[in-house]
Amino acid sequence: MQMRTEPTALSTTISPDTGIRTEEMLLNVGPQHPSTHGVFRLIVKIDGETITEANPVIGYLHRGTEKLAEDLNYTQIIPYTDRLDYVSAMTNNYVLCHAVETMMGLEIPERAEFLRLIAMELNRIASHLVWWGTYLLDIGAMSPFLYAFRDREMILDLFNELCGARMTFNYMRIGGVKWDAPPGWIDKVKEFVQYMKKQLPSYHNLVTGNEIFINRLKGIGKFDAQTALDYSLSGVMLRCTGIRWDLRKDEPYCIYDRFDFDVPVATEGDCMARYLLRMAEIEQSLRILEQALEQFPSEGEIMGKVPRVIRPPVGETFVRIEAPRGEIGVYIASQGKDKPWRLKFRRPSFNNLQILPELLKGENIANMVAILGSIDIVLGEVDA
Amino acid sequence: MLGFAKGLGYTLKKLSEKKVTHSYPDVPYPMPPRFRGIQHFSPEKCIVCNQCARICPTQCIQLTGKPHPDPEKKGKIIDTYDINFEICILCDLCTEVCPTEAIVMTNNFELAAYSRDELYKDLKWLDDNNTNVREEN
Ligand code: SF4
Ligand code: SF4
Repeated sequence: MQMRTEPTALSTTISPDTGIRTEEMLLNVGPQHPSTHGVFRLIVKIDGETITEANPVIGYLHRGTEKLAEDLNYTQIIPYTDRLDYVSAMTNNYVLCHAVETMMGLEIPERAEFLRLIAMELNRIASHLVWWGTYLLDIGAMSPFLYAFRDREMILDLFNELCGARMTFNYMRIGGVKWDAPPGWIDKVKEFVQYMKKQLPSYHNLVTGNEIFINRLKGIGKFDAQTALDYSLSGVMLRCTGIRWDLRKDEPYCIYDRFDFDVPVATEGDCMARYLLRMAEIEQSLRILEQALEQFPSEGEIMGKVPRVIRPPVGETFVRIEAPRGEIGVYIASQGKDKPWRLKFRRPSFNNLQILPELLKGENIANMVAILGSIDIVLGEVDA
Repeated sequence: MLGFAKGLGYTLKKLSEKKVTHSYPDVPYPMPPRFRGIQHFSPEKCIVCNQCARICPTQCIQLTGKPHPDPEKKGKIIDTYDINFEICILCDLCTEVCPTEAIVMTNNFELAAYSRDELYKDLKWLDDNNTNVREEN
């Protein structure tokens, strides 16, 4: 794999039959482009309508979170994780807390684990809804976006009631969660789950069967399992090639091992497979939520026994969990202080994006947005 | 053509349903009790322990104390208290650590300003910002 930020020279050809001279062209997409959902630049070289080379340029949203974290104590880092993948901040909150808790060997009360799991699964649905809506918008359909955001709004309202913020939650703490569920909240989530279950078929009615949509996605952006492994892809990007790998099942964390759910897998490896997988994942998340809400403990602590100053012992640790976009991991090297010596995030969007130049090569320019969208990146996470 | 027609049918069906949009700002948008808007500060409660300034991840709280005017009493009272709201990320940590609930959240979120200077909130502003104060902090 070759990493390049500057495109190679443009080539010129003269047609032997007609004598007409044609030239490749550079097209700059972004950094401010609606289909990139953030600030992401793509320099594509096109020959007519065929992409011959694509060079992604990232870093416009780089804030140096990992370096900043070295100067912050562990509790202070949690709000920074909200701003990595801001579409799914609950999973980011969790992975950092989980890493520190693993290092310190902390016990998490059962009720806190349930609240965390419910928050994470709701966030997964919200994240997939954002993806669904904006992806369809990229493809050229306006109304699915409105339906998706209408339903996502309900989840955000639930989060707002739970922790007082709609996107940057800062909800989890090392050892538990900040807030208990407010009175009646669990029932509201139950209602939402039932509502969403009814809503899903209409999503399929609206979009999935649409012939134009199918033609635009089938067989586009295809890759096989080996390529996915070589690029270290994860999440739906990996499962669309037939590899059944979901950390919630394969390396259970939190309390995922108590619930019954499937890991949807496809073998086609194209955009359509990724689309269907994400839709199926919403269904599975609803299944997990249903069970979790049924078993939700009626009382209990929401914070474990945590020392006043959080100082993980000397050493290092790496934990990973299944975020909506793939595996998110945190590596912490501690020297026994209240601040990490080094902290590294393995961000699924960043890893998944690496395959883009290969997927775009030889594609028609009209498919560019369909392929980029199907990777499901969040630039806050790509650039960290 | 069938899938296409199905989708269209769904859209048509939705036409007659109740609107889900909210005519904000004509109708105020209520926020739940835990919502984080901007802080309210009560100078008489503050014991100048500095915990809020220390926990703030963006270092946007600046405070100074002065000796208690009553020489009989020990400790300090607050002299100046500023929040640089330009960089406050509303993480809720200051309100969480304050032992006396001198700094608490309010539900007020309409904070757009014409100049950056207006976003420097001083003690007086924060003290006067005493509506919709959050009960649990
Ligand atoms: S809410 Fe604002 S002022 Fe308070 S700790 Fe967070 S960033 Fe600092
Ligand atoms: S934490 Fe509370 S009491 Fe301490 S300095 Fe801040 S506002 Fe005052």
